[in-house]
Amino acid sequence: MIVAERKPMAEILSFIQGVNRLLVVGCDTCVAVCLAGGAKEVAVLSAALRLALRERTPALEIIERSVERQCEEEFNAPLAEDIAKVEAVLSMACGVGVQTLAEQFPNALIYPALNTKFMGRPETTGIWAERCLGCGDCVLGRFGGICPITRCSKSLLNGPCGGSSNGRCEVDPEHLECAWQLIYDRLSRLGQLERLYAIEPPKDWRPAHDGGPRRVTREDLRP
Amino acid sequence: MSTVPRLVIFACSRSAGEAFASLKAMGQSLPSDVAWVNLPCGGNVDVLHILRAFEAGARQVWVLTCYEGACESLDGNRWAEKRVQEVQGLLQEIGIAPECVAFRPISPTMAADLLAWLEER
Repeated sequence: MIVAERKPMAEILSFIQGVNRLLVVGCDTCVAVCLAGGAKEVAVLSAALRLALRERTPALEIIERSVERQCEEEFNAPLAEDIAKVEAVLSMACGVGVQTLAEQFPNALIYPALNTKFMGRPETTGIWAERCLGCGDCVLGRFGGICPITRCSKSLLNGPCGGSSNGRCEVDPEHLECAWQLIYDRLSRLGQLERLYAIEPPKDWRPAHDGGPRRVTREDLRP
Repeated sequence: MSTVPRLVIFACSRSAGEAFASLKAMGQSLPSDVAWVNLPCGGNVDVLHILRAFEAGARQVWVLTCYEGACESLDGNRWAEKRVQEVQGLLQEIGIAPECVAFRPISPTMAADLLAWLEER
């Protein structure tokens, strides 16, 4: 999933200075699952904004909404009526959802309420960790299902480095496991340690974002 | 009589609720500006409950739960404290004194303490 966190209230409040009618829109997919931008978080943020601006005249009016997937225009279409009533929109979606709203409603002021962090998963209750960098050329098949690009702090393809100690990464030993220790342990369990004799060539980063904004085209799905 | 409660108390029915029941049995009643909300467990309290209380005009919110180790749901009191801390952080961010919301453990036998807290506030 895409993992996000709420922006500091001071930044959010700076977006809506002078705004009297506001729409706060959540997204009930990834950011709802990571408890950053679903319907519940829309209610909490809206309550906090009303409290923050409680002494302002006129009082801030907030319309609270949440859509199934803010990154798809079909789900946002019913927001048109609400957007016409407000002076600004605060999106609690990931950056993709915010941009979808901005593209779909070009005359509306759309502001992000979240910082989009990474593609990851919940490791345990209350902890989400990065698992995929979206490099465009998945290497998981060669490393026992553990991504050295994402989980090694140096994205080493021929690891480990000298900073691996007791299975931990020198960058943040308290929180980070050494990806190469994980890869070694996993390949060992799978009986595939010989894979580590292969020298990985330098990675071609062109399929990643380094090659510019990417797109996927499926001619079979196009009209 | 105040129409908007100045203090809203979210109370675990197993500890604070029992203490309050004892107060009532002694003929005491809540001050008119206090609203009491009984919860099955302190762990039921939510950030939104507390914010809604402030939105409705409360100046203070207390969350009263069992003491550490005394929660019949094991750790409902710890969850309640976390919710209070979350609201305190949010209030601080928007320029409201975080002390407006307080977490207090209480036992069923602390009716006198509860009365004192209400009088001291």
